[in-house]
Amino acid sequence: MITAEWKPIEEMVGYLRGHKKVLVIGCATCVAECAAGGEREVETLAPLLAMAMQNDGNPIEVKSATLERQCEPEFLEAIAEAAAEADAIVSVACGIGMQLVAERYADTSLYPGVNTTSLSIREEPGLWTSRCAACGDCVLGFTFGLCPVARCAKSLQNGPCGGTRTNGMCEINEDTPCIWRLIVERATARGRLEDLTKVRPPKNWSNSPAGGPKRMLREDLRS
Amino acid sequence: MANNSTADFQPQITLLYCRQSLAAEAKPVQGNRSGDGFSARLVLLPCSSKVQLPHLMRLLEQGSDGLQIAACPEKACQHLVGSNRAEKRIARGRELLEQVGMGAERLGLDRGAGLSLDDLMEMAGQRAEAVRALGPNPMKGV
Amino acid sequence: MSLHAGTKLEKVLAAGQFALTTEVGPPRGPDVEEVLKKADILKGMADAYNVTDNQTAVVRMSSIAGSKILLDAGLEPVAQMTCRDRNRIAMQSDLLGASALGLKNILAISGDHQGAGASGKLKGHPGAKGVYDVDSIQLINIIKNMRDEGVQAGGDTLTSKPQFFIGAAWTPLGPPIEFRVLRLAKKVAAGADFIQTQAVYDIKAFAEQMAKAVDMGLTEKTAILPGLIVPRSAGMLNYMNKNVPGVVVPQELIDRMKAASDPQAEGVKVTLELIEQVRELPGVKGVHLQAIEAEELLPEIINQAGLSPRPEV
Ligand code: SF4
Ligand code: SF4
Repeated sequence: MITAEWKPIEEMVGYLRGHKKVLVIGCATCVAECAAGGEREVETLAPLLAMAMQNDGNPIEVKSATLERQCEPEFLEAIAEAAAEADAIVSVACGIGMQLVAERYADTSLYPGVNTTSLSIREEPGLWTSRCAACGDCVLGFTFGLCPVARCAKSLQNGPCGGTRTNGMCEINEDTPCIWRLIVERATARGRLEDLTKVRPPKNWSNSPAGGPKRMLREDLRS
Repeated sequence: MANNSTADFQPQITLLYCRQSLAAEAKPVQGNRSGDGFSARLVLLPCSSKVQLPHLMRLLEQGSDGLQIAACPEKACQHLVGSNRAEKRIARGRELLEQVGMGAERLGLDRGAGLSLDDLMEMAGQRAEAVRALGPNPMKGV
Repeated sequence: MSLHAGTKLEKVLAAGQFALTTEVGPPRGPDVEEVLKKADILKGMADAYNVTDNQTAVVRMSSIAGSKILLDAGLEPVAQMTCRDRNRIAMQSDLLGASALGLKNILAISGDHQGAGASGKLKGHPGAKGVYDVDSIQLINIIKNMRDEGVQAGGDTLTSKPQFFIGAAWTPLGPPIEFRVLRLAKKVAAGADFIQTQAVYDIKAFAEQMAKAVDMGLTEKTAILPGLIVPRSAGMLNYMNKNVPGVVVPQELIDRMKAASDPQAEGVKVTLELIEQVRELPGVKGVHLQAIEAEELLPEIINQAGLSPRPEV
């Protein structure tokens, strides 16, 4: 799922000064799964923002709604009326959903209530960890299904750096396993450590965000 | 209009209590009671695990001066970890309330078993004391 | 065997002499004098001097500039290059620049993550965007292809071939230990002519890893220089044992330093013993000797180890 986390409320307060009617909107898909922008979070944030703005000396009226999906145009119509009444929208969906809202309701100020951070899984209750960085040149076939782009702090392609801690965790975070240690363990378990001894050439990053905005075109699907 | 002088401030506390924390012989009560220098609205919960942040935040947005949760002792929770979850949620709620300038003390959870109505009122009274220093909820009457 | 770059380090190794390298960290400022001060203490002591590339992700004078200052002062530099701050375009451009300035020993390493700069007393730049376009093994191969084929990573040709003596780092005792020799083999296959290792204190464990490298024929293709850091106190060894990845310090050694009445003198003794011990190991072609914040100890150690004067090649 796409994960996001609340921005500091102080930052949201900064955005909302000068506004009077605020609509807080969430999305019941990824951001609900990562407990940032589902109905529960929207209904927690909306009263909190009302209180924060009151205490800031800039009282606002807050309404809230949680869309089924904020990244599909048809679902955005559900808030048409509320959006027309509001003079600002705070979205706690991912950056994709936010931009669709900003486009559909272009006359209303749109502010992010979250930072969109990663493509992760929920590893345990209350813990989400990265799995993919959308690099556009997937190497999972060489790394026993463990991603060295998103899960290695240095995106190394040829094995672990010298920083792996004695307990096998990554040099930059003692709670994150060195992914290359895990890749080596999985290769060993499969009796295929040999596969990791081939030097992997530099990656082609041109199909990643580094290559510029993605434009994926499928002629066969166009009308 | 809220009275801002601390001396006259009579905190309105909403007390949400777990049915299981009551004494066997005690009759569940709901509704408003007045205590010494504060008033309390008692709300019965089937289990403290039912408290959710949206509900708590709404109560504060609507003007309650403080919220007190009465939960079962750690080992006694009928849903095993229900009251522990509630405790963590309350901790998060307190952090958020601090961030929005309301003050963490407007929300609290305490545990107890075999509680009487007097015990519940005492808990509400303690919350009222903690809230008194913060003054009336600025959302009151908004 | 024809030489790749004909640097002093390469010649010493080619002549079968026991090589000695050490390190000069550039200052956190533009001061040439600072570099020259260290150069003064160390001149003539080693065959080559590593110049670090913003080590621990803290901004310092660039490795290439520091290397050039050393070269002009008569010390042969090993310019370090990390993968953290440059993409393949900047790397190759800087390599051509280094070559133009006469810098021929290059050490390619992954580099400390940009978050590392904030771990000590300094602030560093933890908000910086790390590059990591290519990894150290890919960088080694890029340098080799520039040198041997005269081609860039993208396939374009160079107008002439730069000469480089290519170095790489090795952490022989880091986990996953079963992969460390294989990773060394990848570096050698990619083109590493010489290897400097993470600091070694556990000679027995290091010897086992070396034996595997010898078995795989790696020591025929590359010159391995174990890293030795002069211990100065039991506390320092304890710290490294716990906090520096890949550094394993036997408890006896820590105890010995603790019991010493003059830890500094004991550290010098320990270093001399370590030099003797690694020297005995098949495949070891020299040492990479460091005395962190105590460069003044090095001349004495090098003299007592019989490693001075350095061979004329
Ligand atoms: S290699 Fe690239 S595409 Fe594949 S999982 Fe990793 S980041 Fe995603
Ligand atoms: S310790 Fe492992 S995961 Fe962390 S940067 Fe090094 S190789 Fe990558």
